[in-house]
Amino acid sequence: MTALLHLTGVGRRFGGLEALRDVALEVEAGTRHAVIGPNGAGKTTLLNLIAGALPPTGGTVLFDGHDITGLSMPARARRGISRTWQHPAIFPRLTVYANLDLALRAPETGVNRSDRRGRRGQLGTLLEHAGLAGDVGTRAGALPYGRKRRLELAMALAQRPRLLLLDEPSAGLDPIEITHLIEQILALPAAVTVLLVDHNLDLIWSLAHTVTVLHHGRLLTTGSIDAVRTDPKVQSAYLTGTSPQNPRVGRRRSVPSHPGADISNHPRQAAAEQPEQPVVLRVRDLRAGYHGAPVLLGVDLDVRQGEALAVLGRNGAGKTTLLATLAGLVPPYAASRVELIGRVLPRRPRPHHLARAGLALVPQGRRLFGPLTVAEHLRCAAALCTAPATPGGRSWTVEKVLELLPALATRMQHRADRLSGGEQQMLAIARALLTNPRVLLLDEPSEGLAPSVIAQLTDTISTLVDGGLAVLIAEQNLDLATAISERVLILSQGRIAVACPTHELYEPAQRACLQRLLGVAAPTTASPALRLSGEPGDVAPLNPEMAQDAATGGDPGE
Amino acid sequence: MSVESTTAEPMTVVDPAGRQRHPRPRSVGVTAAVVLTALALPAVVDAYTISIASTALVLATLAMSAQLVTGVAGLPSLGQAAYLGVGAYTAALLANAGYTNGPTQLAAAALTGAAAAAVTAPLVLRTRGTTFLMVTFAVAEVGRTAASQWAAITGGDDGLHTPPVTVWPGTAPLRVDGYIYLYVLVCFLVLAALVALLLRTRLALVLRGAADHEPRLGALGHRVTAALTAGFLAAGAVAGAGGALLVAVNRYLSPADMGLDVSALALLAAAIGAGSMRGAVAGAVLVVAVRDLLGTDTGGHATAVLGAVFLLVAYRRPAQEWLRTRVQGGRR
Repeated sequence: MTALLHLTGVGRRFGGLEALRDVALEVEAGTRHAVIGPNGAGKTTLLNLIAGALPPTGGTVLFDGHDITGLSMPARARRGISRTWQHPAIFPRLTVYANLDLALRAPETGVNRSDRRGRRGQLGTLLEHAGLAGDVGTRAGALPYGRKRRLELAMALAQRPRLLLLDEPSAGLDPIEITHLIEQILALPAAVTVLLVDHNLDLIWSLAHTVTVLHHGRLLTTGSIDAVRTDPKVQSAYLTGTSPQNPRVGRRRSVPSHPGADISNHPRQAAAEQPEQPVVLRVRDLRAGYHGAPVLLGVDLDVRQGEALAVLGRNGAGKTTLLATLAGLVPPYAASRVELIGRVLPRRPRPHHLARAGLALVPQGRRLFGPLTVAEHLRCAAALCTAPATPGGRSWTVEKVLELLPALATRMQHRADRLSGGEQQMLAIARALLTNPRVLLLDEPSEGLAPSVIAQLTDTISTLVDGGLAVLIAEQNLDLATAISERVLILSQGRIAVACPTHELYEPAQRACLQRLLGVAAPTTASPALRLSGEPGDVAPLNPEMAQDAATGGDPGE
Repeated sequence: MSVESTTAEPMTVVDPAGRQRHPRPRSVGVTAAVVLTALALPAVVDAYTISIASTALVLATLAMSAQLVTGVAGLPSLGQAAYLGVGAYTAALLANAGYTNGPTQLAAAALTGAAAAAVTAPLVLRTRGTTFLMVTFAVAEVGRTAASQWAAITGGDDGLHTPPVTVWPGTAPLRVDGYIYLYVLVCFLVLAALVALLLRTRLALVLRGAADHEPRLGALGHRVTAALTAGFLAAGAVAGAGGALLVAVNRYLSPADMGLDVSALALLAAAIGAGSMRGAVAGAVLVVAVRDLLGTDTGGHATAVLGAVFLLVAYRRPAQEWLRTRVQGGRR
């Protein structure tokens, strides 16, 4: 056998939580081996056990025939295992050059002058390859996100690994950057075996030779792409999750896929015929930025009660800045004007004043209080439940929130940082709801979540909107955004490039526009997968739901 | 004044990518001017000021040690005075045993300082962050208590009086403040040059990497603990050498010289330096100037002024940020 990596009976417990159980895995030398699975399946834990960042609580890890179970991470690295993290692990205060210098194998003996010159040549090649030649003297922390990722990958490759472990390499990248990533991984020499974890299934299908599916800490199956895609066990693990039927095909998905189709039964369209609801959030000429560099260059928008407005745009378009400014976390520039429920806000509103005035933010990455339990989170948030009741006289209580989000009820005594990504997202929403908001801001709620969890999330948000809440949602996942919203805005370079009702996105003119601004194809019911531009159509998704996974990832709670 | 110009020096002087970039002529010029001023000082100011300048050089040496651990390796140490104490007792015991040669004392003190660091490294390097701060503090307090209890060797809390150092065998011992100052200054410059060389080695780069992202450094195959131990040893040697200088200046040594307040002042000087070695040295000079020169004018309230300096350092970064956005916003 040519198995480079051989795992037998590997398991890992975190207190009461069994993150991985009895995993047996063989990775052949020279293959591109992918590990997929819903959130909380144990993918990152598996990677950490192989890299040596965590000791397993059971089982053995063989690398190239040697037992490395007891070896530390540095010792494994010296044997040829290198890795990347979900969030780029670089030395932020050191220059790009110094980062790569540390990544090159330390010279075993004294360095003479010619060695040093050779080393500098090697570093030059690495910089060139990573497309970072212009950033030699830049501090790595000052690089834009996509370049940080490239630097991290270059550092992992500088070690000339025999086994390269990639943890969600596509997380946070936009579709064009993902295309580059795929090209880069495909161009790796056969001497580098790759084991990667990712949520972006298009990326997996275009790269992997072998796919392993994890579910609830157990290995479900390992096989070729075709075998895995047709495996009924995989389908049920990915699709059903905790809810038996597939909620993705909910009422809001009944959007016609082509122009000319009957749109009268679109529920949002029907809602629009009802009497106009009052505007609860009115934004005029919103400008903001960081350290003097403007990010938002004048944004106007209105959100009505009982309406969801989706903000789309590539990475860096200003989506998060827009939401953070509205939530009082970033001070807007002078000319900006924001009205919340008819009242003009002061220029620099404090976040807690906004919370009491009826605005709640569910931030990107959840921002939970790590060591507090679910119950403590809810009690904390409920303590502020003094705000006026939401429309319809509805006032949120812990019981009502748990009714809406039953997944949390069984996890009340668990620490927030031990929850799966989906549960964390639900908790973040619950925490926001308990402040009785009139306006809810959601920043990339689908980030790093598995399709079945996104389906639940879609349902939850739809229910809230129907209950009269005004929702402003920034998303990379086009399907989630279109499923819940009546209108969409597309941000591009700090301005609104397109504003239209959601159903118009399916018209050819808007589709072309979307393609240009987002670099992805607009969703269709026939092929709702979030596609990379120029990706050939023959990489048919396992099925629509499974391929709808967000191009963004990065789930710290996994 | 030299202090301001040195603290304003950006970190790029010790830039790890420095093999491509050499220090700019301006910073070389500033350093040369500061060194020349320091050399000319005995001819300009009175004996009292000179003795304070000598004290400042001792603290500057300890500040370099603290900066190696704190600013470079990212481990906040509140116990560097312990290694200074070990070096100082070594020098004092040698002096009382008849070995009055200053350079010999200096080398021996550096060795025992490093040895003390080697003994304590396994204890303290198990921890990081605030825990490291507390453990180094605890280890230093154990050292200070040992010095005050072990009266047979250390003289207990009464301390040790020592004969003046000689620069060369057979030459006259140094009794005049100006000459002592010049001897200490030359020793300090040699140590500073050695530290500057150390900062250009790969070890320093690895230490900076450990400060920035330790798991990444491990994943790159570096022996992180070994590197941190080596850095801690080097810092112990510098602190030990500082102890020999302390004995040369004061001709007296007691456990109070290795107390918490000394460690805290060294850490403050390092913090003022914000990661740069020159900044740490300037910080030490500033701290001693505030304590010993300004203190006499403020009716003995020097400690309060030092407290204000501590606060200023803590608030400096947000304040700088605020100022920068204001200035840039104004230009826009």
